[in-house]
Amino acid sequence: MNDDEILAALAAARHSAADVPERIREIGRSAFAWRTVDAELAALTPDPAVGARAEPAAVRALTFAARDLTIEVEVTDDALHGQVVPPQRGEIELRDRSGVVAVAQVDDVGWFVLGPVPRGMFRLHLRAGDAVVVTEWITI
Amino acid sequence: MRDDPTVVGLVELARHGDAGAWNDLVDRYAPLVWAICRRYGLGGADAEDVAACVWLRLVERLDTIREPAALPGWLATTVRRECLALLRSRRRQVLVGDESGLDTVDDPAFEELLVTQEQHIALRAAFDNLPEHCRRLLTLLFDDPPAPYAEISSSTGTPVGAIGPTRRRCLDKLRSDPVLAAVAGAEQP
Repeated sequence: MNDDEILAALAAARHSAADVPERIREIGRSAFAWRTVDAELAALTPDPAVGARAEPAAVRALTFAARDLTIEVEVTDDALHGQVVPPQRGEIELRDRSGVVAVAQVDDVGWFVLGPVPRGMFRLHLRAGDAVVVTEWITI
Repeated sequence: MRDDPTVVGLVELARHGDAGAWNDLVDRYAPLVWAICRRYGLGGADAEDVAACVWLRLVERLDTIREPAALPGWLATTVRRECLALLRSRRRQVLVGDESGLDTVDDPAFEELLVTQEQHIALRAAFDNLPEHCRRLLTLLFDDPPAPYAEISSSTGTPVGAIGPTRRRCLDKLRSDPVLAAVAGAEQP
């Protein structure tokens, strides 16, 4: 790039940064507060990083895999019906961007029901024994 | 694209809970997020929803990012997926079926947008690393048409005859930025 070209490119780059609504940055800054450092992340399988991911809109059955357990979720019209595998007792929370919106007990066979079905993004937060697992964010 | 040492450092700091480093990452990539939203015709609250999804996914992935150089590509893919998900759900509400024309997997225009955005990210970062007198001078030259040299001279204290050479030196410094050179082909032939 000659001097004029690089100066023009630089001007364009700075303009495109100036065009971004401040809200987009604010939302980004506040997202950091949602870091869960104390919980293991359970990824939706197949892992989106692999690329073979069902479109969220088409998903009715979800599997989130953590190291030692998986959380399987069936989405019905009115609730999330799930099972923790291997089966173990615990407490599971439904969280959206505003915080905890529902809590359910996980019974001896790992079953739980959470409702109503959230609109927009949500994640599950499970405490079972010593394990604390949080699923990745998902939108149905 | 080579690993940008700045990004590697910022990701590392953010992993350890440094909110300032996280904010720098947000500032760095917000224009990329916004540009892709605009490309899909999303603005206002829709773009904010998409951005929220994307930033939250980035937060949750912080610990697993192996190659910070892959960040722009990962972000672009994620923003695009969220845009399409939002458009699809909207379509389902207004008309059923026809999803043709929404997007194709290999979209040269999208690739081009990503290349441009990566260049912009590198340009802004290289600019931020310039000495202050360079940043001040170049900012005055951005205006279209550029500010007259007499005006630049009086506001920066640089003699008129030195503005041309200073501009050249500053742009050479910018061009020598390794990250920029890697993405922009900005090296002197």
